[in-house]
Amino acid sequence: MAKLDPAIGRYVYLDIQSIEYRVYFEQNGTGIPLICQHTAASDGRLWRHLLNDEEITRKFQVIVPDLPYHGKSLPPESVEWWRQEYKLTKSFFMDFQVELVRALGLERPVYMGCSMGGQLAVELAIERPDEFRAVIGLECGLSRARMAPTLDFHDHPRISNEFRMQSMYGKTAPGNPEKYRREIAWTYGQSAPPVSKGDLYYNFIDHNLTGGETQRIDTSRIAVYLMTGEYDWGNSPDQTRILAEQIKGSKFVEMKGLGHFPMAENFTVFKSYLMPILDEIAKNGRK
Amino acid sequence: MSVRFLNPSETAHVRDAINSDPEFKLASRFFSKDILLIVGDAKCIVKLRDGNVAEIKLNPTFMNPWSFFIKGSVETWQKFLQTIPPPFFTDLYGGISRQQFELGGDIEAAFAHYWALSRMLDVLRELENESARTSPPAEAS
Repeated sequence: MAKLDPAIGRYVYLDIQSIEYRVYFEQNGTGIPLICQHTAASDGRLWRHLLNDEEITRKFQVIVPDLPYHGKSLPPESVEWWRQEYKLTKSFFMDFQVELVRALGLERPVYMGCSMGGQLAVELAIERPDEFRAVIGLECGLSRARMAPTLDFHDHPRISNEFRMQSMYGKTAPGNPEKYRREIAWTYGQSAPPVSKGDLYYNFIDHNLTGGETQRIDTSRIAVYLMTGEYDWGNSPDQTRILAEQIKGSKFVEMKGLGHFPMAENFTVFKSYLMPILDEIAKNGRK
Repeated sequence: MSVRFLNPSETAHVRDAINSDPEFKLASRFFSKDILLIVGDAKCIVKLRDGNVAEIKLNPTFMNPWSFFIKGSVETWQKFLQTIPPPFFTDLYGGISRQQFELGGDIEAAFAHYWALSRMLDVLRELENESARTSPPAEAS
């Protein structure tokens, strides 16, 4: 008998800002919906350990989409994407999540994202608090604008995907299983050349919460959890701590021994930090 | 601080260790550049030719051109070369980003060959942490 993975993959059609996208997602489990958003220039494979975790999927319906232009979600058919620069905007990124929730009929899901997905967690808490019961932002902060000068090297004819693979490998924490650190790098070698720079436009430029926007977050309407790996040099624990201090009622956890990709580089360690948060969300029930 | 790649009696061993590393061999194709490594006040140039380290030249002068340089304090290199470095000292890009290391010169070449470059630095780290040394280390100021 075949050894089958419990995660099921399929496609859903989403209308986002008047354009139809055929979006790939994987899901497993029943219970409170939990959307897991991947990082820039990667795809949903980063969440594969969580998707298969029996303890989590007993209580949560885990949904892992590939953002359009990522993984198995192709660019839209109605757009001549080869004639325009790919750029992920905050507006599109937020609308994507909300359309996904509506299309799948999810009731106030939990949103969890990492890196650019983590930045979006905070944006959603500010802009769309009624759509989600809680957000969990991994590896996020107020702004990463200091990295903007590096954007051109993420889409350069003489700098290949090898740079992305190796630089992202370098964002994992030493001591974690080598096979998983390399697997993260592998996914970074598979995104189309313009995707990294386009995603980082959101991450480095369009995401900027230094103007006091976080004061609009009401954690009695939407719970906010922030988690950052000790070894994440791209967005350090101290940067997330500053963000957390600005969100009254938020909770921040520094994850020892983990880097920028906690869910993928060492899921066992990540889960030890995540479970108390998921348990708290489950205990609070439907808000 | 002692570093093997600055030790005159060990540069040949360091060169051979890098060249024989399986991952470096894969990563270093088309890599022909001269990399200036600066450890405090001490320097060397790692000369890459067609994917192999041809020479590690110690104490270069202004008459020895280089393609790009990686510069860090003795303390920075000391942290970077630990088996498990502390946060922000684990890799070159992070070190540059956090302004522990300085990268200059032809940085496009450095990023184009980043896999080979970072693997080479990892091999230097592995060599630093080998338990047995064949000869006394050189001192970098």
